[in-house]
Amino acid sequence: MKYLFLDTSSFNVNIAIIIDNEIIENFSITNSPKLSENIFVYIEDIFKKSKIKINDIDKVFVVNGPGSFTGVRVGVTIAKTIAWSLKIPIITLSTLELYATTKVSEKYLIPFINDRNGYLYAGIYDNELNNHMIDKYLHMSELLKEIQNIKECVMIGYEKLDTTIEIVEPELDILKIINKYEDDYSDDVHLVKPNYLKMIDAERNLEKNNDQKNNN
Amino acid sequence: MKDKYILAFETSCDETSISIIKNGYKEIATVVLSQIDIHAKFGGVVPETASRAHIENITIVIEEVLEKAKMKIEEIDAIAVTYGPGLIGSLLIGLVAAKTLSYIYNKPLVPVHHIAGHIYANNLVKPLEFPLIALVVSGGHTELILMEDEYSFKYIGGTVDDAVGEAYDKVARVLGLSYPGGPVIDELATTGVDIYNLPLPMDDSTFDFSFSGLKSAVINLNHNEKQRGNEINSANLATSFQNRVVEILTKKTMRALKKYDVNNLVLAGGVAANRGLRERLTELCRENEIDLTIPDIKYCTDNAAMIGAAGYYAYKLGRRFDGVLKAKPTDKLN
Repeated sequence: MKYLFLDTSSFNVNIAIIIDNEIIENFSITNSPKLSENIFVYIEDIFKKSKIKINDIDKVFVVNGPGSFTGVRVGVTIAKTIAWSLKIPIITLSTLELYATTKVSEKYLIPFINDRNGYLYAGIYDNELNNHMIDKYLHMSELLKEIQNIKECVMIGYEKLDTTIEIVEPELDILKIINKYEDDYSDDVHLVKPNYLKMIDAERNLEKNNDQKNNN
Repeated sequence: MKDKYILAFETSCDETSISIIKNGYKEIATVVLSQIDIHAKFGGVVPETASRAHIENITIVIEEVLEKAKMKIEEIDAIAVTYGPGLIGSLLIGLVAAKTLSYIYNKPLVPVHHIAGHIYANNLVKPLEFPLIALVVSGGHTELILMEDEYSFKYIGGTVDDAVGEAYDKVARVLGLSYPGGPVIDELATTGVDIYNLPLPMDDSTFDFSFSGLKSAVINLNHNEKQRGNEINSANLATSFQNRVVEILTKKTMRALKKYDVNNLVLAGGVAANRGLRERLTELCRENEIDLTIPDIKYCTDNAAMIGAAGYYAYKLGRRFDGVLKAKPTDKLN
C-alpha cells in the first residue's frame, strides 16, 4: 500500500511517502507564512524523488489540527482535493497525538501548542498512544489540575512554558501514528475539516451576546 | 478551432464558486455556495469565518459543478483561479484546491485578477468591444478601468478609502437595516425624497472616489437629528445617500469616457445590481450615444463564471502560475 502523509499544521512541515510500512521519502522544513507558496514545490519534489506518481497513492493521511489555522487549512485542502480526485480514503490525525509519538522514558506525554494569555492546546497520551484527555484548548491552570495525579509525565512541544514539568521537543514517529490508524474507515471527504479547537472572537462574542439576551 | 473548456475557481471573499466556461463566453455550469446567511449575523464578512466555510464547501462544489456540466476534469483544458485581490485566507482555499487539481490532472493553472473577472462577466452577455471603460463597483472595489484590447487593463481611478458597497453596508447598519446594505437601501430609495443635505464626495477633476466622508456625513446627520429629538426618515436618507453615490459615480464615468474618447461602457461588480445606478447610467449613455453593457444580476456578485470568462483570455495569452503559488490580497489590476 502507498500512503501520502501531510502535516502543515504547526512548527514544521512534514511530508512523507510510505510504501508497505516503510517511509521511502521524507521531507521536513520549518513552517513559514510562505507555506502556501512553496508547498507544491515540496510535494512535486518528493514525488519526483520517490519515483511514484501522486495518482499511485492509495490513502492520504492529513494532520488537521490543532495548530496554525492557515497552515492546517492548506494541508487539509490539499488532502481533501487529492482524496476526492483519486477516490481514495482520507484519514485525519491530531497534531498533538503526532507530537505524542516522541520516544520518552516517562509513561505519560502531554503534547502542547502554546497560545496567548496562558492558554494552550494540549492533550494527554501515554507512550502507547492511548488518549487520557482529549485534545483541548484550555488555560495552563486547568491543565495543571488535570495532571495533578499523574506523577510520571513529560510535556512535548516546541515552546517554553512557565512550569516545572520537563519539556521535550517533539521527535515525530510517523509510522507509529499511521500504524495506529491505517485500518480505520475513511472520513467522508466532504466532511473533513480542520480541528481548530478554538472558536474565533467574533463567534464567541456573538454567543455571549445571545446568552445575555436569553438570560434577560 | 477546438473548443476550450476552463474550470474556474472564485473564493476571494464569501462565496465558494466554481464554474465551467466554454471559449470564454458560454457558461456550461456554475455552482455558488454563498455564506451570506453566516455573515449576516455579524453584520459583515468575518475573514476567519469565511475561510472556515470555504474549506467545508470546496470539494462539494467541485463535485457539483462537474455533475451539473456532465463533464470530467480530464475534458478540461485549463484551470483558472482568482489569486487576488480579496481575503487572503479565502483566496488560499481556492488557489490550493485549484493547484492540487492542476497537479493531479496535469492541467495548466491560470491566475486571474478578481476585477478582470468582474469585467469579463460582461463577455457572458455579449463580446466585449474595445476600447472600453469599465466601472467596477462592489463591496470591495470601486474602480475605473480602461481596456484598449483583449485582456489589457489600465487603471485610471478608484476609491481612496471605502469601496462603494462597503459604504452601503455601513449606512445600512446606522439606519438599523439588514446586511448586505446595498439591496435594502436601493429598495428604500425608491420610496423616499431627497431632502437631506449630504455632500457630493470627492467632486474634483481626478477619476478617484471617496466614500468615507459621505458615510460619516450620514452617521453625523443621524446622530445630530436624534440628539435634537427629531425622527430620521430612513427612506429619505436612503434616497439622499444613494443619489449622491449615483451622481458621483456616473459623473466621473461619463467624464472618463469623454477624456479617453471611448464609446463602450461596461458596468461590473455586485453594486452593478443597484437599480438606481443602472437606471441613471442607462439614461446618460442613451443621451451621449454610449454603448452600455450591464451583466445579468447573477453575474454581478462574485461568481466563478466570470473568472472562467476572463481565464480563457488569460490562458490564450499564456498566463500561468510559475511554480510558486502566490495569493495577492491587494494587487492592482494593470
